[in-house]
Amino acid sequence: MFDLTGRTILVTGGSRGIGRAIALELGAAGARVGVHYRERRESAEEVVARLHDRGVEAKAFAADVTEPDQVVRLLEAVGAWSGRLEGLVTSAGIYRGPTVDEVDAEEWQKVIRTDLEGSFWTVRSALPWLRKGDRPAVVTLSSILGAHAAIGGAAYQMAKAAIEQMTRALSLELAPGTRVNSVAPGFVRTDINRAGHEDPVFSAKVARATPLGRWGEPEDIAPAVRFLLSREADWVTGLVLGIDGGLPLR
Amino acid sequence: MTPDAPFAGRGVLVTGGSRGIGRAVVLAFARAGADVAFSFRQDRRSADAVARAVEELGRRAVVRQSDSADLEAAAGWVDEAARELGRLDCVVTSAGGTGSIGWEVPRAEEWTGLFRTHVVGPYATVRAAAPHLRRTKGSAVLVASIAGLLAYPEEIAYATVKAGTISLARSLAFALAPEVRVNAIAPGWVRTDLTRALYDDPRARGAIERAIPRGRWGEPEDIASGVLFLASDGARFITGETVAVDGGELLAWRIGLER
Repeated sequence: MFDLTGRTILVTGGSRGIGRAIALELGAAGARVGVHYRERRESAEEVVARLHDRGVEAKAFAADVTEPDQVVRLLEAVGAWSGRLEGLVTSAGIYRGPTVDEVDAEEWQKVIRTDLEGSFWTVRSALPWLRKGDRPAVVTLSSILGAHAAIGGAAYQMAKAAIEQMTRALSLELAPGTRVNSVAPGFVRTDINRAGHEDPVFSAKVARATPLGRWGEPEDIAPAVRFLLSREADWVTGLVLGIDGGLPLR
Repeated sequence: MTPDAPFAGRGVLVTGGSRGIGRAVVLAFARAGADVAFSFRQDRRSADAVARAVEELGRRAVVRQSDSADLEAAAGWVDEAARELGRLDCVVTSAGGTGSIGWEVPRAEEWTGLFRTHVVGPYATVRAAAPHLRRTKGSAVLVASIAGLLAYPEEIAYATVKAGTISLARSLAFALAPEVRVNAIAPGWVRTDLTRALYDDPRARGAIERAIPRGRWGEPEDIASGVLFLASDGARFITGETVAVDGGELLAWRIGLER
């Protein structure tokens, strides 16, 4: 079920957090995995080594997704390695939480350029390779904050909302050949929000507010990405799938 | 548990399992290793054929003719199914499939009939299943429709009650958390007996095809895949969601499909 044998998939931001869990899950499902990272070469190589241990082909690729030139070169390198792509997961992202009064232009731009523009240019640069792939699919990473608001981090929330609309717009533009879907995780314990889950008061508050009673783990997000990239999800496109333990239900 | 049979040793109950989407769900679960109990309303011959197909896959099939909208009858049937299968890990409410009523719904009974089928039935089934699902930390998947998310004046009562199915899934998700997950799946235009008249009419078939970004009608198996994902361990942090499986129809700006 949801087997990915024979499919080559690039995961951006695959060295840590949710992207890392996705890369490992896709490999466990039989995919050949490109693991993109920005700085943490050792972490990316560790993911690649784990995939190799399972007998899965994998390779690490470095790029700063805020630089469109680097994204183009990243996809050239991936394409030279794989010859095609059946899947792309844009999970490279950062979070900054200043309020509108506190935020400066540099910080604002860094978030928009990494989360939103980085995702867009990665999809754009991957298109020639996706079009060579068999029944290709893209999965973008939104967040519960793409459709629900919080105080602080407006740029992040705006980027995630834009990613959801990018998902819908591109799922239409790239139809019928390439499917585009998004996953919108709730509170997930990763490095990006370590301050939150390491604060006992805030951590307990999130768990209490979540109907399923706990924080999410990266491993809770990865199987949905696997499903959306599978041949069995052939009729699913334009979907934004919340993976949030029911937090926004009321 | 093997990768090919992730539901091995599990028990699943499906309402409306003799035909269409429900039938595909029953068979997909059986292929994935589950024993399956399912109800049907009218078509015993189809139900028997589905049961045989399940048994040929080496799984147990428990079949019952049932009107799932009766609270007491639903409870009796769900308990019986749980007893027969030994456990219940998932219930899927797929009973539906009444004929066309149209925009002018002349009689109140037609409204209440649809409400019984698409809201009261799923409620009764999930309520009865809740104690069993709590034991297995299982889940429920309610088959709704994108008609519940769009204007659908051609079938105004159907669309309205399917919006009710979606709302029901949200409230049940909240009520049964944290042990039991509840989600809805919202199919678009799927080729079943229910839509056969439209599919067999070349003009209607083509118009619908052109409205679907993915460029084709759905098959019952497309919906079954989504149901199996939502029922799987991989969906362990997903509850209260409505998952459209519709070839992208829901998102399309209607004017924008032609290039």
